[in-house]
Amino acid sequence: MNDNIWILTFADSIAIATTLMLASLGALFNERSGVLNLGVEGVLLMGTVSSFLATDSSGSIWVGLVVGTLVGGLTAMIHATLSVVFRANQIVAGLALVIFCTGLANFLGKPAEGRIISEKIVPLDFGPLTDIPVIGPIVFEQDIVTYFAIALTIAASWYIFRTRSGLTLRATGDDPATVDAQGLSVATIRFSYTILGGMLIGLGGSWLMLARASAWNREGTTNGIGWIALALVVFAGWRPIRIIFGAVLFGFTLQLPFTLQAERITFIPTAFTQMVPYLATLIALVALSTPKSRQALGAPKALGIPFVRDER
Amino acid sequence: MSNTSHEVVQGPHHESGAASVALSAHHITKRFPGVVANCNVDFDIRRGEVHTLLGENGAGKSTLAAILCGLYQPDEGYLTRNGSVISLPSPRAGLAHGIAMVHQHFRLVERFTVAENVVLGSSDLSFRLKTKDLNDKVAAVADSYGLPIDPTAVIGDLSVGQRQRVEIVKALYQGAEILLLDEPTAVLVPAEVEKLFDNVRAMTASGKSIVFISHKLGEVVEISDRVTVLRNGEVTGSVEGRGSASTADLANLMVGRHVDLSVQRAEHPIGHEVLQVRNLSLTVNGVKRLDNITFNVHEGEMVGIAGVAGNGQKELADVIAGLTSPTSGTIAIQGVFTTDLGPIKAREAGLAYVPEDRLGMGLVPSMSILDNLLLTRKRDVIVDRGSVRPEAARLIEQFEIKANGPEHVARKLSGGNAQKVLLARELSGGRTPTALLVVCSPTRGLDVGAIETVRRLIDDARSAGQAVLLISEDLDEILSLSDRILVLYRGAIVHETPGESAHIETVGAAMAGLSK
Amino acid sequence: MRFPLRFEARTDSPKYLSAAVPVISIIAALVVGAVFLLATGYAPIETYQEMLKGGFTTFYGITDTLGLSTVLIFTGVAAAFAFQMNLYNIGGEGQLYLGMIGGAWAGLAFGDSLPSAIAIPVVLLMGALFGALWIVVPAIVRSKLGTSEIVTTLLLTYVALNLMNYFIYTSSSFFRDESTTGFPQGRPLPESATIEAFGSTRVYPTFFLAVVVALVLFWIVKRTEYGYRIQVIADSPRAAQYAGISAQRTTLSVMMISGALAGLAGSALIVGPFEKLDISITTMGYGYAGIVVAALARYNFVAIIISAILFAGLRTGGDKLQITSDTPVHIGVILQGAVLLFALGGEIFRRYRLRVVRQQQQAVAS
Repeated sequence: MNDNIWILTFADSIAIATTLMLASLGALFNERSGVLNLGVEGVLLMGTVSSFLATDSSGSIWVGLVVGTLVGGLTAMIHATLSVVFRANQIVAGLALVIFCTGLANFLGKPAEGRIISEKIVPLDFGPLTDIPVIGPIVFEQDIVTYFAIALTIAASWYIFRTRSGLTLRATGDDPATVDAQGLSVATIRFSYTILGGMLIGLGGSWLMLARASAWNREGTTNGIGWIALALVVFAGWRPIRIIFGAVLFGFTLQLPFTLQAERITFIPTAFTQMVPYLATLIALVALSTPKSRQALGAPKALGIPFVRDER
Repeated sequence: MSNTSHEVVQGPHHESGAASVALSAHHITKRFPGVVANCNVDFDIRRGEVHTLLGENGAGKSTLAAILCGLYQPDEGYLTRNGSVISLPSPRAGLAHGIAMVHQHFRLVERFTVAENVVLGSSDLSFRLKTKDLNDKVAAVADSYGLPIDPTAVIGDLSVGQRQRVEIVKALYQGAEILLLDEPTAVLVPAEVEKLFDNVRAMTASGKSIVFISHKLGEVVEISDRVTVLRNGEVTGSVEGRGSASTADLANLMVGRHVDLSVQRAEHPIGHEVLQVRNLSLTVNGVKRLDNITFNVHEGEMVGIAGVAGNGQKELADVIAGLTSPTSGTIAIQGVFTTDLGPIKAREAGLAYVPEDRLGMGLVPSMSILDNLLLTRKRDVIVDRGSVRPEAARLIEQFEIKANGPEHVARKLSGGNAQKVLLARELSGGRTPTALLVVCSPTRGLDVGAIETVRRLIDDARSAGQAVLLISEDLDEILSLSDRILVLYRGAIVHETPGESAHIETVGAAMAGLSK
Repeated sequence: MRFPLRFEARTDSPKYLSAAVPVISIIAALVVGAVFLLATGYAPIETYQEMLKGGFTTFYGITDTLGLSTVLIFTGVAAAFAFQMNLYNIGGEGQLYLGMIGGAWAGLAFGDSLPSAIAIPVVLLMGALFGALWIVVPAIVRSKLGTSEIVTTLLLTYVALNLMNYFIYTSSSFFRDESTTGFPQGRPLPESATIEAFGSTRVYPTFFLAVVVALVLFWIVKRTEYGYRIQVIADSPRAAQYAGISAQRTTLSVMMISGALAGLAGSALIVGPFEKLDISITTMGYGYAGIVVAALARYNFVAIIISAILFAGLRTGGDKLQITSDTPVHIGVILQGAVLLFALGGEIFRRYRLRVVRQQQQAVAS
């Protein structure tokens, strides 16, 4: 029974949700501090390519994960510098970052083209627990990064809403002038969370490479998943717990083409099933823009606006 | 900078002497690009004293206050606290020395609760937030100073007076001994002002020092133990002791010459009805913003709408100007019904509108004066700027607008000049000659010279036969200019009185909702 | 924490900075590119020299550059026109694909039965129309609901990508060239629906069309009532409301025109260099390049022409590199992104000046 294609699909949805969760969580921290980072797709790419190269040369997936995470943080530092220190237009800065990273990742990944790494992240072994009907494969056959991502998201929720630092974080995103008046450095806070966000996104990209792709396919490696992650932050109303559910949902739409193909359901061309995640995201975004939903959402008020202390 | 004559008027004063000086500023100078905000200023505040910094807009009061609390650092000069020299590189340092400022524009996070705002950034906060304990602690501090607040209330739901109280509690919670209040009464009703003054007296009685920053002469005289007057960044005088200087003396120190802010109202006839508002109501998001309003304005008449900010003034102006559609009721300008027809039709009926938000709404900041003149006129498919240029130049001269010609960008105009551009445009007619002029808060934030000019221009328009609807939160302005006064409270007209026989107490009470 | 260096607001922005910032950005980007080249074992000076030769100094270099700049001018003005109103049309890439699809369809369907003088404008217009159609949903939800057009236009690009894949790879597709047995190809358009390049160069008459379009847009924004309205809404939505200018309607039309321009980029490629639907377009990134072109030119339509030629030269030079040596062609894209990053950082210097702040002097008691 546990071989049922739909149970396996659901299990796979949770797996692919790992990348979405981590990338969204990273973007969420960014945005909660008031910095809009549209460069998620670029940071993600850098995470995938660097983890590939690191694992390929060292033979260890752990090295790959660590390197991918650090590279993500470094890449985000570019965005942090532009947005916080140079008060650049954050939207264009994010896009520029994507373009730059796409080029850079392709450049660095050239020697990796066509190669496959043999090391892979595998699911943890819980022994007989995986035989439990339905729940088994879904809950107990995920890999450690997936569990880590879920745990991290829950911890993030506690951090943001129940701690002093979380209070400061939320205040920075809503009303940086108030935080500044307290003598705290808005710039330092935003800079730090942008880098933290970048590290999470980098980790997400590393997982994508080391648990799924195992080969470098240029932009096709991530294929726009970063943009879905960004939209996911909006759906989740900037609250971590809701990201988990949204990520699984969109993970499902991403898995769907593979499942349909495996089941030989071919009357819908692959090209169209592959459009589903993007169209679904689009529809969901529009649905969330109606005035009624907008009230309930609550974006950080100072999102995307560079903070300048009021001087004459 | 030269040392101007420094008057000190002595009056009967109480026990406070030099021994109990809590904070002192010596020879403070602060420069910003293009302006010297403070020049060689000396200032001190004693324990248990209310010392007011008085001056008109742009005199340098807020700058000095910012230096006193650590928000700015002086370019020259130094501060001493309890006798020893201190340096305040940041507001946090100021707090460490027990100095806190309550800003004119509150620094509160609207989404957070009162307690969350009070404890934000305070150093003794535990990593894990224990909400209940915090709420209790905050409530305790508030109660001890007679400032009751609900720690669980969300800031967004509170009135302006309540928010101000939260700011004060916040300063006290963080251990402030010296509080600087920046224009605290600007947004309060007379009744709330009294409550604030009670709180101030309670605080000074317990040894706190209050630096009061204001430009409102009447209140200053009532609450202050000492008054120091700033003009153009320099101290022009200091008055010791309550009641020892009149408002006229203080005004003199503020401006340097004899100022008559009242306008001579000439007798002139009132003509036919120009604006007719009937049963106007507006409900937004379930809240009634305008409540069954009916009134009219005639040719050559100035009707003043008095009220505290937030009681429907903005909504009333926007509805009359055609920017918002009312839920019910009608508006007629010169006999033409303009309800629901939009701003262009309203202007075609003879409306001119000078909004409160000069540079964000009335003028497009990045455009030139010339382009801004075109904003309310009919434009051809290919915009013909050449034919408007001479008129623009003429208006600049006529209204004495300080600008480098019609191409001068609006953003670079001073507040007073921007207002003159707006008036010039609105009075010169757009699509049709102006018959009704609606002005909102016309002199807010302007220096005294500009205030005089703007009030004169509005009054001239009225004398020339226009119907003028003046909406202002400045009660003095309403009283001195209006032929007839209507008081707006919670969206409804609660009081009406002819201008000349108006009693400030009755009007003030009506503004607070206390009319019969 | 206070740093000794601080940004201080300027009272006026010196004119020289408008030119200085882009120039310095380019130099800085070249330095960064050099670092990457060195780190991976290539010689920067030689690489740049080759690029310069390939893109700017030889006859075929210059003409190739001008030819490539055609599509970049179109996508550049497409992005810039939307940005006039603070609208971010990021989906130019997808709209370009749709423009190609629309133009190819029109050419294949009508090309045989119409003379050139009519067929070509039809193809071009059809591309513009398809481009506008592809943006209409984001445009409507933006103007009516305020949904961020950034993500909506971008998501549709991925959908467009899949659509292109479908049309090329599906054997029964209208666009597919059945005669070839190798890699799937698009069907070539009939002669009357395509135009010739000038001589042996790769410059097509569409280059002049692009320049004219850019200049016309410049004139529209500066001189017409439509442009006036755009300026008002862009600077101050409340002033627009005050003056009775409908932001909603203008938002819709501006976005549609922006989409149409990007679609036009696609159909210009169809009548010109491509002459058929070609999957290789999806690796070119012309739509995204347009955004960079526009941003560097600070969204000024006349400057975009220059900026487009510059970037086209970079690309052409980079492409030539791949032929003459095995330097990765991606250096061109890296430089493209780096230039924009530096230009963005440099923007601040137009509004602020760097100043060294002296520590607060300890007072000497007088």
